[in-house]
Amino acid sequence: MPGSDPDIPTIRFSERRLANGLRVIVAPDHLAPVVAINLWYDVGSKHERPGKTGFAHLFEHFMFQGSGHVAKTEHMAIVQGSGGVCNATTYFDRTNYFETLPSNQLEVGLWLEADRMATLLDALSQENLDNQREVVKNEKRQTYDNRPYGSFYERLMAAVFPPEHPYQHTPIGSMADLDAASPDDVRQFFRDWYAPNNCVVSIVGDVDEEEAFAAAERWFGPIPANPAIAPFTAPALPARIGREVRETVPDAVPLVRIHFAFRTPPFGAAAFDALEVAAQILAGGKGSRLHRTLVRDRRIAQDVALFTLPLVSGSSICAGWATVRPEADPAEVEAGFLAELDRVAAEPVSDDELARARALIEAGELAGLGRVEEVADRLSQYATLFDRPELINEQLPRYLAVDAEAIRAVVADVFRPDNRAVITFVPQAAGAGAAA
Amino acid sequence: MSGLDILARRPAPAAPREYHFPRFERARLANGLTVITAHLPGRPLLAAQLVLEGGAGHEPADLAGVTALLARALPEGTAQRDAIAFVEATERLGAELHAEAGWETVAVTLEVPRRHFGPALALLAELALQPSFPAHEVERLRDERLNDLLQSTAEPRRRVERAFADTIYAPGVPYGRLLGGDEASVPRLDRVAIAARHAALLDPSAATLIVAGDLEGLPVVSLVAENLGSWPAGDGPAVAPGTPLPDDAGSPRLVLVDRPGSPQSELRIGHVGLKRRIPDFHAVAVMSVILGGLFNSRLQRLLREERGYTYGIGAGFDFRRSAGPFAVRTAVQTEVTAPAIADILGELRRIREAPIEAQELRDARDFLVGVFPLRFEAAAQVVGAITGLVVHGLPDDELDRYRQVVAALTEEEVHAAALAHVHPDAFSIVMVGDAERVVPGLETTGLGPLEIVREAVPTAVAEA
Repeated sequence: MPGSDPDIPTIRFSERRLANGLRVIVAPDHLAPVVAINLWYDVGSKHERPGKTGFAHLFEHFMFQGSGHVAKTEHMAIVQGSGGVCNATTYFDRTNYFETLPSNQLEVGLWLEADRMATLLDALSQENLDNQREVVKNEKRQTYDNRPYGSFYERLMAAVFPPEHPYQHTPIGSMADLDAASPDDVRQFFRDWYAPNNCVVSIVGDVDEEEAFAAAERWFGPIPANPAIAPFTAPALPARIGREVRETVPDAVPLVRIHFAFRTPPFGAAAFDALEVAAQILAGGKGSRLHRTLVRDRRIAQDVALFTLPLVSGSSICAGWATVRPEADPAEVEAGFLAELDRVAAEPVSDDELARARALIEAGELAGLGRVEEVADRLSQYATLFDRPELINEQLPRYLAVDAEAIRAVVADVFRPDNRAVITFVPQAAGAGAAA
Repeated sequence: MSGLDILARRPAPAAPREYHFPRFERARLANGLTVITAHLPGRPLLAAQLVLEGGAGHEPADLAGVTALLARALPEGTAQRDAIAFVEATERLGAELHAEAGWETVAVTLEVPRRHFGPALALLAELALQPSFPAHEVERLRDERLNDLLQSTAEPRRRVERAFADTIYAPGVPYGRLLGGDEASVPRLDRVAIAARHAALLDPSAATLIVAGDLEGLPVVSLVAENLGSWPAGDGPAVAPGTPLPDDAGSPRLVLVDRPGSPQSELRIGHVGLKRRIPDFHAVAVMSVILGGLFNSRLQRLLREERGYTYGIGAGFDFRRSAGPFAVRTAVQTEVTAPAIADILGELRRIREAPIEAQELRDARDFLVGVFPLRFEAAAQVVGAITGLVVHGLPDDELDRYRQVVAALTEEEVHAAALAHVHPDAFSIVMVGDAERVVPGLETTGLGPLEIVREAVPTAVAEA
């Protein structure tokens, strides 16, 4: 790509598949004496069945409650006592587990991951279930229920995807479903999804490639595969919602906020790349169009946002918001926000806007590829979602190849009245309590 | 399945590879500006930070927030271009450039790919030395701060932090205020106040520019001289570097800010803590990790893993030039507010009354020693750490000594830190939660008189 930054590193990696189906990716990087281990299991909230929402995430918590040779709370204690950090997250398409350790502790990290992949159910108890259910319910309260505008995420997904669609509910799930979870549910979830052939392990950092592969074989090699895991297929969905969904939500908030969402092509499609560049031009910083028009020039919005979620099964979502200044008219802010989206569809973005967006995306790539934890996560991501870890070196050229016409086309296609949800949070009447 | 027997044996670590905090070098321009450079091979995203002496702690109380507003106004127009032209010039370089006020200093921060370092540094200098503070941009930023204060009333975390700082410090102590100013002070701020504040900060002899990243082939010091060398030496800084701020404590109180309907109570328990320059800093760091700094800390094990009261709990000291807060921070389900407080107070007593166990000391020490290199992968992190040395006047080898000092700490030294710096008699307890459901439980705890703050959440909507 002419003009692109010569300092952008090419990530060199090798991959092997163990006999049990586990995909192992190794990328040596000796800048610092650290190693990142990252596992993606190909199971997320989209795999949950009705009445069992939130289980993928609840299960993720169990992965820290001990296993055959690791006591409750010992997993974290061993990682931290080894001088490392670890965590896990659950998303629509997957669940990931990761630790970054001093590189001499590589085997300890792999052992911990292998032990819970192989023997998690040995440590499962009703007591642990009850405890982690309460922890997760407090996570839901803290992250969503006790926050102003906290229900917007659930509402947007429910508006953009139809009932029973795998993306219709968010990973945190419902309190009622969490309350109904039994130890048998947890056991079944493990047997259904947690197996080496449903997982990718990436090892990035200060390691010898052959030694890392040998260590992965040593610890994960004996774990049996589960041949019963079927590939996921999403139900067919029209490209657009088909109508405008509108909702007004009274909440304990001082300022009106208007949330927008649109159904989009999935992450991985060229049109999705174009949409990400469009979002950068529209709301990616203080020079972006929405910020400039609504916040800086017209001064009717306190803040604005527009972003995509990287969902792969059939369709994804682009969402945004504008917080309305106290003296401004919400209808005017809504119209102004949508007018900026329309303007990108009607006339091409300028060469300078595109150049600025590309420069910022490139700098973001330099930051991301400079961290072993991020590189490991992306390798696992591209291998799990697209069966192509080499996308780690191809994604940036794809962004840089997006031109004004590609942006115009995707914006015209996605930001349409019959494809949007508009959810407006308004201050509830004085004296009414906060939503519980 | 017999192959799985291998899992019964936890593997031993290999020999650790040596690690040193990156070396850095100092230079001084003729006008007195100190320049620190750290060459980090293989880190092409460079970071730079200009640290100006005199932060929000040194501003007049009736103009609280003027330093923070000044920092936000710096990129909003210069002698050479207006706000939009400035932000666009920054974006063309793929640069992130902004200014932020702290309690003791103001920092102008740059991150930029190395190939654009020269022009980005010129923009940093333009922003710092030639801001024009257009009145209409300043007014917009001031209004945005007032709206932000309005929004903060709906956010339990921001409300509890504000109430906690206000509670633990004596009236008039800067650390007890909001760094960005409050509803009374912000309306007084204008471009005149900002420009005066800017002039007071601009003395190159009290400023430091730190640059880190892959500097191979970049003449950093001469680039800095080119861009910041014409900055005229002043008459000496308005505030001498290292001047301490007052940090007097208020009396211990039990405060509940009523937020009807809250599903959780936001809790802060603590008191005025410590300044950074103390002889037992490392022992305090290890003690904090054991108490509430690890996923596996005492507080986390009890309140999360045993009781299930919370998604997470932490405790620690915010080390500043003068004594910053010591706080336990958590959000607990409304129904268990009183027992959660009792559990927290129990752990705060136990860290003093019971000895530190050998295993927990080992885990905490090994954690801090082991994660040290993880903290400095990015150039911006290295710049941040060196900034800490500058702000606190610490010796250049402080960071390189860190691991060996931590590794040598004993149970007795860590316990002594708890006895010296955790004071059960001085605790204030500050909450934001649903008074109707929380008060009955609190009344049975004997924690002392409860002050209930009932503020109407403003709903200043001009909808009608």
